[in-house]
Amino acid sequence: MVDVIKKNIKSVQESLFSSVGSSVLTIATSYLVLNFFRGMFGFIMSSDKDWLAVLNNMQLYMVQAYPESDFIRVWISVGLTFVFSGISIGLWRSEDRSNISVIFDRFFKVGLGLLFFTIVAPTFTSYMGNDGSVITEEVFSRSTRLGILIPTLIGTVGFLVLKNVKINFSYNNSDVVFLYLFIPVVLIWFVKLPVIQLDENRDRIMPDPLMPIANTTKIPWSVIFVLFLLSYFIGIYFKDVKRLKNIMSISWFLLPLLIFSWIFKKPVIEMNEVLTGDIPIFVIFFVVGLLVVLFINNPIVKKYYSIYLGVVLVGTLAGVFISIPMLAKACLLLLSLFSMVVPAVSTSTQGKRSLIIIWLVALVTLTFLLRGGASETGIIVPGSSIFGGFSLTWLLAIFGTYVSFPLGVMLALGRNSKLPIVRIICTGIIELVRSVPYITWLFFASVTLAVFLPAGVEFNLIVRVLMVTAFFSGAYFAENIRGGLQSIPKGQYEAADAIGMSPFQKTGLIVLPQALRAVIPTLVSSAITAFKDSSLVTIIGLFDFLTIGKTVIDNQSVPVNFVGHQRENLIFVAAVYWIFTFTLSRRSMKVEKRLGLGER
Amino acid sequence: MSIIQAKDVKKWFGDFQALKGISMEVAEGEVLVICGPSGSGKSTFIRCINRLEQHQEGEIIVDGIELTNDLKNIEAIRSEVGMVFQSFNLFPHITVMQNVTLAPIWVRKKSRSESEEKAMELLERMGIPEQANKYPGQLSGGQQQRVAIARALAMEPKIMLFDEPTSALDPEMIKEVLDAMKVLAEDGMTMIVVTHEMGFAKEVADRVMLFDDGQMVEENTPELFFDKPKHDRTKLFLSQIL
Repeated sequence: MVDVIKKNIKSVQESLFSSVGSSVLTIATSYLVLNFFRGMFGFIMSSDKDWLAVLNNMQLYMVQAYPESDFIRVWISVGLTFVFSGISIGLWRSEDRSNISVIFDRFFKVGLGLLFFTIVAPTFTSYMGNDGSVITEEVFSRSTRLGILIPTLIGTVGFLVLKNVKINFSYNNSDVVFLYLFIPVVLIWFVKLPVIQLDENRDRIMPDPLMPIANTTKIPWSVIFVLFLLSYFIGIYFKDVKRLKNIMSISWFLLPLLIFSWIFKKPVIEMNEVLTGDIPIFVIFFVVGLLVVLFINNPIVKKYYSIYLGVVLVGTLAGVFISIPMLAKACLLLLSLFSMVVPAVSTSTQGKRSLIIIWLVALVTLTFLLRGGASETGIIVPGSSIFGGFSLTWLLAIFGTYVSFPLGVMLALGRNSKLPIVRIICTGIIELVRSVPYITWLFFASVTLAVFLPAGVEFNLIVRVLMVTAFFSGAYFAENIRGGLQSIPKGQYEAADAIGMSPFQKTGLIVLPQALRAVIPTLVSSAITAFKDSSLVTIIGLFDFLTIGKTVIDNQSVPVNFVGHQRENLIFVAAVYWIFTFTLSRRSMKVEKRLGLGER
Repeated sequence: MSIIQAKDVKKWFGDFQALKGISMEVAEGEVLVICGPSGSGKSTFIRCINRLEQHQEGEIIVDGIELTNDLKNIEAIRSEVGMVFQSFNLFPHITVMQNVTLAPIWVRKKSRSESEEKAMELLERMGIPEQANKYPGQLSGGQQQRVAIARALAMEPKIMLFDEPTSALDPEMIKEVLDAMKVLAEDGMTMIVVTHEMGFAKEVADRVMLFDDGQMVEENTPELFFDKPKHDRTKLFLSQIL
């Protein structure tokens, strides 16, 4: 024990007080940081603050003014995302186990931090009163300080002892995710906080009555948690079904589109139109795709395949000009893309099977999208134009990344391609997108993009923002990934060539896995940037999480006047952003460690 | 019947002519050692045989298939010709077992269990079965090179090309790789080996060639090549290397 302390003191000496200069720096920065913390803590504890300005506006923070009658749409979207996550975590469940001492170590560190802050926290704080005078008040009395200090000290020492005792208990690293989610779900049932309530004269009831936090949302959250757990088990059960992993990856890609069309439009289904239009078109295209996949290896079909491709491509081009249903136009485009991929992938039975599944999923999704989100007939959910808050930030950031990442991979590969046309197109897209500021692209999405889309297709502003965001961060992802591609030694390509791999196999099995691994840190920082940059959408009139904190609450006076309570809201917003970005970067470090296995 | 025929093969890198008309034949089951100073075109030549480099003039026929730009021919030849590189070029992100089974599973479309069985057999033949589940980065240079040989053999090639397989190795590890290659030669594999290991050439080769300045200077059986070299260039080379 004494040795450990001596060693620690020595390392502190070496790293912080090694020379006169570094000692001065250490003391100066600690003084600044401590003062900042004491000021902040004083504000948080003083009677000047009103956290109800945050708590009372939780609904606003989450979905802004989305109509309450349609909340079920948001809940289903959230639920779907969690179910997908559950299945994915189950399917890709890691076998890595950690000893319980890791958790004790974490608690020990938290305890140390708590001890430190309890000791340095200020006893008094002062702030400017309404009349301009300086008010000083006690925020942290001696008894409170001791009341926190003593149990924390005991706990910290306890965890220090536990951490060093060898306990033979380990847990699966994936399973523990549920513990992290289970704790908040339990908390929202039992922790009570003051809530603003008005009496019949519309006066605030004082003191504020206590209510469980998330009183209105605790049931949906609990249901979602249970679904999450169930889907996790489903994922584990089907762990060995390889095809399910492919289906899951495609589904993730389609999920944002489904959610957007589900949140913003109520599909209007006219049976007549469906029977005479949609179903026949669907069946025809499905059968054509099916036949292509089944008979592609037939010598006669092979011989005339290029003619077939030409016909489909000409048909797609012609479809733009002639008057046929929107669904048929879109299906033609999809068919021509599909037919180009088929010969490369359909060499094995397994490849054929997944092609058929992909074709079915793609057609179903397309039909759903054209009937729902992008249809002429769908009814816009009333009030969905003021959908905002954290849900919006979350959708833009996460789904923006989901779409832009594969796009970035394709652009990067295209830019490195040997085919000049592909290379020029990809380079052009990347350079065009990167050379224009993001804000300009946002204006482009809100003002210009609608003009460029074909008649009959109209997307919600948020969907349009997602489209430009996908391209914008896609271009940055592409450049990052290209850096990774260039780090692959030439020998790797040659080795793959020498064992007879096709270009597709070479890229998918040898080059991309290594290139992506090499650039995980930059990819994560791009994703974090995308998450934070999503707050720029405020400029085209969307209300993201930050905008709500900053403006909406500041200007709100009904039912209770919260004017002047920006600070609480900004602290809250900053804290939420921090929690998410910090978690993301920690997770990525874990992934990096796990994937870095080969480099040892 | 010769399995490799090269006729007047010429190759330029920009203005520099790397191969100045190489003609040769290799019979099935023959072990051919090519030596020569660096920059003499020996590596370039064997890389032309599986089309890692393209020759511009002349023709190369491997196992009855002429090397042209036709992608099908190239893929067909690459699955018949195994190659071992100076810098091993193992895939660092997957295990040794996966390195060896990758090509059989994806290129030959064999089942996983069958390929793994075969891979284990090969690793045993190379004397490293216990390394199967490690990553390449965890192995020594000699072990890595033996994995690379096993990886090439997993495709069941008719011809094996070795491009200076021992040049990047510590002296102690050279022997283990050469021993593995000897086993192969004894089993009747057709091999073209670019190397400076004259001991190996004396012991195993059926024929030895000397390349210099993009040309084949001398070609002979090992006995005559080492004991009674015809050309002055060969004498000079041997005096420097031995």
